[in-house]
Amino acid sequence: MSEALYLTREALQELVAGLLAAGTAVIGPAHAGGPRIPGLEERERPTAKGIYGSLEYREVGDAAELVLGPGMPRLSLKQFFLPQSEDLFAWKQRGAEVAIRETPTTFNPRVVIGAKPCDAAALEVVDAVMNWEYRDELWNGRRAATTIFALACAVEDQHCFCPSVGAAPDTIRGADGLLTPVDGGFLVETVTDKGRAFVEAHRARFAAAPDGAAGQARAFRDAATAKVGENTRIDAARVQDWIENHFEDPFWATLGVRCNGCGACTMVCPTCHCFDIVDEEEGVGCGTRRRCWDTCQAGKFTLHASGHNPRADQIARYRQRINHKFAIYPVKFGDVLCTGCGRCVRTCQMGQNIGEILVAIDEHAQR
Amino acid sequence: MQELRDLARQLLADETVDVVVGWEDSPRGARPIFAATPDDAGKLIFDTRCLHDLATYLNPRRKQVTDLGKLAIVVKGCDAKAVAGLLREAQLERDRVVLIGVRCGGVCEDSMAPEPVALTPETVAPRCFGCDNREPRLVDHLVGEAQPEPPGPLLSLDERVAALDALTPEQLWEYWTAQFDKCVRCYACRQVCPLCVCERCVADKSRPQWIETASHPRGNFSWNVTRALHLAGRCVGCGECERFCPSGIPLATINRKLQLVVEERYGYRVADDPELKAPIGDFRLDDQQEFIK
Repeated sequence: MSEALYLTREALQELVAGLLAAGTAVIGPAHAGGPRIPGLEERERPTAKGIYGSLEYREVGDAAELVLGPGMPRLSLKQFFLPQSEDLFAWKQRGAEVAIRETPTTFNPRVVIGAKPCDAAALEVVDAVMNWEYRDELWNGRRAATTIFALACAVEDQHCFCPSVGAAPDTIRGADGLLTPVDGGFLVETVTDKGRAFVEAHRARFAAAPDGAAGQARAFRDAATAKVGENTRIDAARVQDWIENHFEDPFWATLGVRCNGCGACTMVCPTCHCFDIVDEEEGVGCGTRRRCWDTCQAGKFTLHASGHNPRADQIARYRQRINHKFAIYPVKFGDVLCTGCGRCVRTCQMGQNIGEILVAIDEHAQR
Repeated sequence: MQELRDLARQLLADETVDVVVGWEDSPRGARPIFAATPDDAGKLIFDTRCLHDLATYLNPRRKQVTDLGKLAIVVKGCDAKAVAGLLREAQLERDRVVLIGVRCGGVCEDSMAPEPVALTPETVAPRCFGCDNREPRLVDHLVGEAQPEPPGPLLSLDERVAALDALTPEQLWEYWTAQFDKCVRCYACRQVCPLCVCERCVADKSRPQWIETASHPRGNFSWNVTRALHLAGRCVGCGECERFCPSGIPLATINRKLQLVVEERYGYRVADDPELKAPIGDFRLDDQQEFIK
């Protein structure tokens, strides 16, 4: 990492204003917009999903909207690289003629400020599959157009477990730079050429780190590392080994029975990337082919045209989710398909808890 | 609690049932448990965090649960209404399940709280307000002591409906567009619903594609409106769809509005009586039908 620079809150304000004026979109954690209805505001009450509040990653129109502190956006950053649904191409048929309108694969520059480190790391994990047998132009186009500054995390709650899956509250994976909160602003370190070029291009906004800032940043990050160290700890290699050798173990049947099969866990997951491709007709002889998020938790996901379904029930589907993340993906791409953000745990209202499940597997593995 | 555990142990010991579905404590608050042994039965709890509508596990879509054998299930009054719905619609045979009713003084909104939550206007689930079934009738056993009435919520479902009824169509459109815009089409609302019983949901049909899969406004409106209308006069108001929505869409407001419309037009109020005919499966000569032109 480069030598740390200092970005004051005021300079951040100017930086964002300058980016927006130049036509660069700025994305970060911010409270949801939408109309406020008189008499309905009281609906937002603290519940277990409370750490999300109305926080989401979205484009902001002003740095003041950015929430650069504790709190986790409801959905991860993946929606900006693999949208919930996106056009692949449009077609128009007239007699034997078919005209295809391709979707552009280059994108306007964007900057993400304040990505959770686990969300940025997830992008790098998913890069592998998006550049495996086929180089996904839309994913790569968006990745290339986006400069990401992660914000060192103070650890949200007991469901964060990034160190168990090779990440950390201050991991630099997937990010171009890392911000660490210090008095009056942030210490900024750059990681990639893209990050360095960004800082160089806006050099006037950054200052030399004031005395004591480096120590403050270190203390912040050490405290986070210590805090997350008290949460779920597993040995991912041991877990992988057990899963690979226990496909038929009765343990799996104890997990899937409670599961709703709703797939909300996969939607909020920063690394789940499975999609479905659909042709949506929009008139006679014309339509759009779209790619939409899909979920391995739905029966339809593996339903064959014959009517046979190799994953006939939720037990098989839930096993698949764990298997894909902690065995199949590591074998194929050398990375666990999880960055320990804990969103699936907080989202599942039936109490399916991946931390608890991983610990149980790890215990099985040590028997 | 002891009464519930003893009863569950008894039902398992004399092989009346294979599994008792109830709630247990977990590192993530209260959650469903499928108790198959006396040990498991000792884990059963019932407190204000037990807001899951366990009747959803009786839904015939859940093969992994039907495979467990004969079930006993712990039901609150609202859950019993859902069981009645399944019986009414011939989705469940009454002798397939033993119903253990619990006397309920209301639940909170947060199943995941580490400790039982004291009910206050801030914490009580809005659906508990005005509950007419705190002592379920459709049961084989009834346990627990009589409970006091829960406090009224800060904002009841009827107040939510009233706030929206006061809007102009344009404002309503803007409100629901913003809400449905958040939909990620996970179908958690459908999956958890005890009364979404279709073996193949219209949203999963692709030839023809009745409801577009993509989460553009058209697809999201098609899905959310279809879901709501298919539950009109069937929804028991358990609020699970809203609780499970990872995007925070206020689905219970829609369901409540439709309940009110059905009640006004057909005099139907959902109850835990399976013999009560629901408007969707009933025709009466004096039904209002001025909308048929």
